[in-house]
Amino acid sequence: MDSVALRTQIKELIIRELNLEGKTPAELDDDAPLFGAGLGLDSLDALQLAMAIEERYEVTLPEGDEVRPIFASVAALADFVARSKSLATVNA
Amino acid sequence: MPGGSVGPMRVFVTGLGVVSPLALGARATMDALVQGRTAFRQLTLFDTSDQRTHRAAEVVGLTVADVAPPTHRDTWSRTDAMAVVAAREALAESRLDVSRHETHLAFGGTTGGMFETEQLLAEMHRDASRREPHALMLSHPLSATSDRLQTAVGPFARSRTLCSACSGGANAILLGAAWIRSGRSERVLAGGADGLCRLTFTGFNALGAVAPDRCRPFDRRRAGLGLGEGAAFLVLESEASVRMRGAVPLAELSGWAVGSEAHHITNPEEGGATAAGLMVRALQRGAVAVHELDYVNAHGTGTPLNDAMESRALHRALGPEVARVAVSSCKGQIGHTLGAAGAIEAAMTVLAIERDELPPTGGLEEPDAECDLVHVIGKGRRAEVRSAISNSFGFGGTDTVLLFTRPQVLAASRDGERSAARERLARRSRVVVTGAATLGSLGLLGSRRSLGYLEPGPAPTGEPLRFEAKEHFDLSRARRMDRPARLLTMAMQTALGECTGKRPIGPELGAIASSAYGNVDASAEFIQRIYEKGGRLASPLAFPNLVPSSPVGHAAIYLGMRGPVLATLDLGVTGEAAIALACELIEAGEASAIVAGSIEEQSAITEHVLGPLCAGSGSWTGVRGEGAAAIVLEEEGHAERRGARALCKIEHSASGRDGFARAAALLPAPRGAALVVVARRDESTLGALAETSWRDVSIAEVASRAGHHEGLGAVAVAAAVGALGDGRAEHVLVLGLAPDRWVTFVLARR
Repeated sequence: MDSVALRTQIKELIIRELNLEGKTPAELDDDAPLFGAGLGLDSLDALQLAMAIEERYEVTLPEGDEVRPIFASVAALADFVARSKSLATVNA
Repeated sequence: MPGGSVGPMRVFVTGLGVVSPLALGARATMDALVQGRTAFRQLTLFDTSDQRTHRAAEVVGLTVADVAPPTHRDTWSRTDAMAVVAAREALAESRLDVSRHETHLAFGGTTGGMFETEQLLAEMHRDASRREPHALMLSHPLSATSDRLQTAVGPFARSRTLCSACSGGANAILLGAAWIRSGRSERVLAGGADGLCRLTFTGFNALGAVAPDRCRPFDRRRAGLGLGEGAAFLVLESEASVRMRGAVPLAELSGWAVGSEAHHITNPEEGGATAAGLMVRALQRGAVAVHELDYVNAHGTGTPLNDAMESRALHRALGPEVARVAVSSCKGQIGHTLGAAGAIEAAMTVLAIERDELPPTGGLEEPDAECDLVHVIGKGRRAEVRSAISNSFGFGGTDTVLLFTRPQVLAASRDGERSAARERLARRSRVVVTGAATLGSLGLLGSRRSLGYLEPGPAPTGEPLRFEAKEHFDLSRARRMDRPARLLTMAMQTALGECTGKRPIGPELGAIASSAYGNVDASAEFIQRIYEKGGRLASPLAFPNLVPSSPVGHAAIYLGMRGPVLATLDLGVTGEAAIALACELIEAGEASAIVAGSIEEQSAITEHVLGPLCAGSGSWTGVRGEGAAAIVLEEEGHAERRGARALCKIEHSASGRDGFARAAALLPAPRGAALVVVARRDESTLGALAETSWRDVSIAEVASRAGHHEGLGAVAVAAAVGALGDGRAEHVLVLGLAPDRWVTFVLARR
């Protein structure tokens, strides 16, 4: 999957899991901060998103502070997923 | 916020009973706490191999078979058994024979029989054909524990089941005090119980709220709570009853306060302003100066957010005295026992006063700079305790503070008793209705148009209610709200739209609502997912919505309501019970205004299993409906001062168990254009009505237009308000009847 398609897929997942009714993937900026201002997401959303990403992509997110850079933006999250998936392919 | 002055009615604690993970018995639990013992160990109740953490504080040495009557061993929950054992201890200590001295019951919890029923719920969610009523499901409703207490240690002439998440046990005690203060009760058995289950264990783990190693309240390394289970009850008694029975008071419950943060469904308000305000209010109400306070039994969960918030709240409330007042939390030793916590900790607070001894904070070794308090570390210590506070905070931000003091010597004067009785009757505030709304088969309607439910017309189709969320909600603020929370909030919002005056109703408004079985379908879905995918893939966002007080908690956050926010449920009279509870809290001065009602959704599990099994709904003929209703109840003077028009007044409200003859005797006689409104006009309702002076009055039911559900009594009250507002009637009796329980209201034009 190319990075644009992956980013769109992650945006759809964010909208569905966090119940961002009325929002479309096009309205979410690839590089804008996910948490804090903007979408108004908080720590409870981060937990839900982490669970959903782990389930959907069969990856394991680090816990604690290490997850912060991964959750910085849609782009960062997509990079992490792509990297984890390609590692998994190599290891397989 | 209301209150503030010293009430004329004093409330004494004359008995304690505790089942905790450390011991069976209140004093044995206190002994173990003081010795610094901890109850956490590897969980044995269920498999935790797919969870992030594996330890909890389990109650040992007590089984359902030890406590339940032989024929009920398969239908009682562990929660029921723990509650009954704790209740027996409290009544025995108080030497209270409830069959001789009328006693009432206030019970708080969150999960009831979830542990026993979660496997069945998961199966029912997975396979829609598995709908046969299984006797084990009798233990599922939170109200089941109250019903078991009724049969095992009752009779209790009135009982009320509350949920406010982790402050439920404390709120049951607060309600008992309110009943005594307003003269509704002389004696109340009040407390809470909660057993461990997969749902709460997995849910708190999904929230990352459970400490991976051990629970360390106020420690700089604290990383979360530890879960526990247990039960506790207090016998609360009026001054007159203490004297009459010659009971020995252990402490006086001299002040209390409840309010809501209206902030976030799981996170506490950072600065602790609400919690601090409530501590100050409880002290004022008990006429206790901060310099007379010696101990605070903290909520102290061990989560980074709670303990920092609570420390800030203590600094705000106690001022410089915070450097003197000792603080400790029981949760590092017995865990967070959820609905039982407020009651167990209240019992330990009473024992701290009785013994002049402070229990420690287990797990605390290196106090956090953010939690700069006078801690009790390691083991308990002796200290003079003249008065002490117990704090309880819940999901959705319902905070409750109880203040206990050394019992003062009671003056023995019969005259004093009589004047106190006169005074308390005079003190009961009058309640008026300033708004009402329904959401159901006829749409979203204000009070006048809710009258439609009393008029002839087509039966409902039973189709689920449809609504466009964006037409009713600011979606960015409503995204956490599930469907029941939204349906309830729409009804509450519409009812509040009617109660305008020169001044708005104010943020001190409270909210009460629930459904008879909580959020049963969402719970079944959550548990099924745990079974299928493992605990680590449980949904953190779904979990807070499973507690029965979630819809009303969401409504309070969305609408900014900061008074008491509670759920109450009582099988077939759940709707009526919510309104009765609101009347009781307003007349006792606990709130000046409360929006109260019900929310019931279509649910196959409710319709085919829980309803027929628990509430006798199998005999309901006609379509099953869904919907919400909300009534704005206000203290008469509060409505007048803000220039709001009262649609009617509540002339009478009462509720009880069994014997309807007592209810009939209490009812005022009908006058003028009178009307009886009921949820359903069935044989038992007509039979009960025949015992009253209202027997010849015309009767209208709402079920034929609204469809049947357990919250229909609130729709009946809204329709009755409509009939009074419309001039259709001048005097209305609303009668709610279900097996072994009844609620009555008489509404009158002003």
